[in-house]
Amino acid sequence: MGPLPIDQRRKKIFRCWSAFQEGLHESYVGPYRQMFKREQQGEDDLFMVAVLGEALGVPDPAAYYTAELMPALWEDFHAWHRRIGIPRSPLDHIGCC
Amino acid sequence: MLLTLTGERKVLFVGGKGGVGKTSVASALALARARNGGRVLLVSTDPAHNLGHIWDTDLSDAVARVFTASDGHVDAVEIDPRATIERHFKAVSATMMKLLPERLHRSAKAHLELAKTAPGSHESAVLERIAELIDHGVDAYDLVLFDTAPSGQTLHLLSLPEKLMGWTESLLASRSRSDRFAAAARGIVGGENPEAAADSELRRTLVARRDRFSRMSKTITDGTITGFVVVTLAEKMPVAESLDIVRQLHDLGVDVASLVVNRRSPADAGAFLAERRIREDICLQELREHLHTVPMTELPLLVRDMTGEGALEELAALLSAA
Repeated sequence: MGPLPIDQRRKKIFRCWSAFQEGLHESYVGPYRQMFKREQQGEDDLFMVAVLGEALGVPDPAAYYTAELMPALWEDFHAWHRRIGIPRSPLDHIGCC
Repeated sequence: MLLTLTGERKVLFVGGKGGVGKTSVASALALARARNGGRVLLVSTDPAHNLGHIWDTDLSDAVARVFTASDGHVDAVEIDPRATIERHFKAVSATMMKLLPERLHRSAKAHLELAKTAPGSHESAVLERIAELIDHGVDAYDLVLFDTAPSGQTLHLLSLPEKLMGWTESLLASRSRSDRFAAAARGIVGGENPEAAADSELRRTLVARRDRFSRMSKTITDGTITGFVVVTLAEKMPVAESLDIVRQLHDLGVDVASLVVNRRSPADAGAFLAERRIREDICLQELREHLHTVPMTELPLLVRDMTGEGALEELAALLSAA
């Protein structure tokens, strides 16, 4: 088996170079992306606690209004309790899992 | 004087200490305004309603005609927070069922059942209905007249729109921060935001809420649209409480448009009542000193009970003459 034709060799070098570039990019931005993600999650958790306060045992004087936010939050609830380290739904009446 | 006020403002709250005759004064004002050709919506916000008793009819949360003059009328409502709560949660529940998968329906319903009975829901429902009636009333009527609950409750209720506006603002700000972080994370690597739909739903709901609170807050603090009529008796405790109400209304930015001193004792009906009148004068003196800029109307003590149209006509005539 002789050496690869010239254009195949060029392709292979290009692939390697691209992968190297991607890895380099990821190693630069990865930590930042993680940081922003964490910040966003923190903010979302705060929101969740504010709106689900009643269910968590904090009396919520605005339950009448927070109830109308529930449809949009329900789906996030599962992701949230998993993230804060509770494997099963911590609320009896929200049976997401 | 007081009657001119009912022609100038679109929204009037009648309030004061318990038992001073708020409902009869509000009803008589409504009747007098209707006689002048006004379309009046008379609303009782007191959970212990007695508007129906005064008009000798059964009232409910739905608008009902209680008086018709040649070219004016009075429609009356007794706010029933439970009806509003039911309506509200039915709507929320419908949205939820639409958005959620079948298996979550039961638990979602259970959660809403709990929220229904949460402390504060009752009060929020009263506020919601007041906002609704103001929105609807300023278009369909010449005057929306609120017969309110005893002062503490009402003042708290009037302070709510402002407070709740702060609440929605802070939640919206939290959404914005979350969005910015998400956008920053995306900006680095690109890609779509998978949570966009649910998030815009959240935002839409919050913005609609905030706008409603802000509209109500603007209306009740606009002295050209809204006024508060404080009803009192010429006795020590009602006067002290009235002064307190005026101070708190001032802090809330609500215009105190008029004072009504109800059930003044006659000077010419025996020594007992004449003596009472002198004592009342002393109490009124204090009221005048503190509130010399607010116009004051005095109503005499009447022989008959304040129920039925006849009694209201008599009181309305006295208000018109004052």
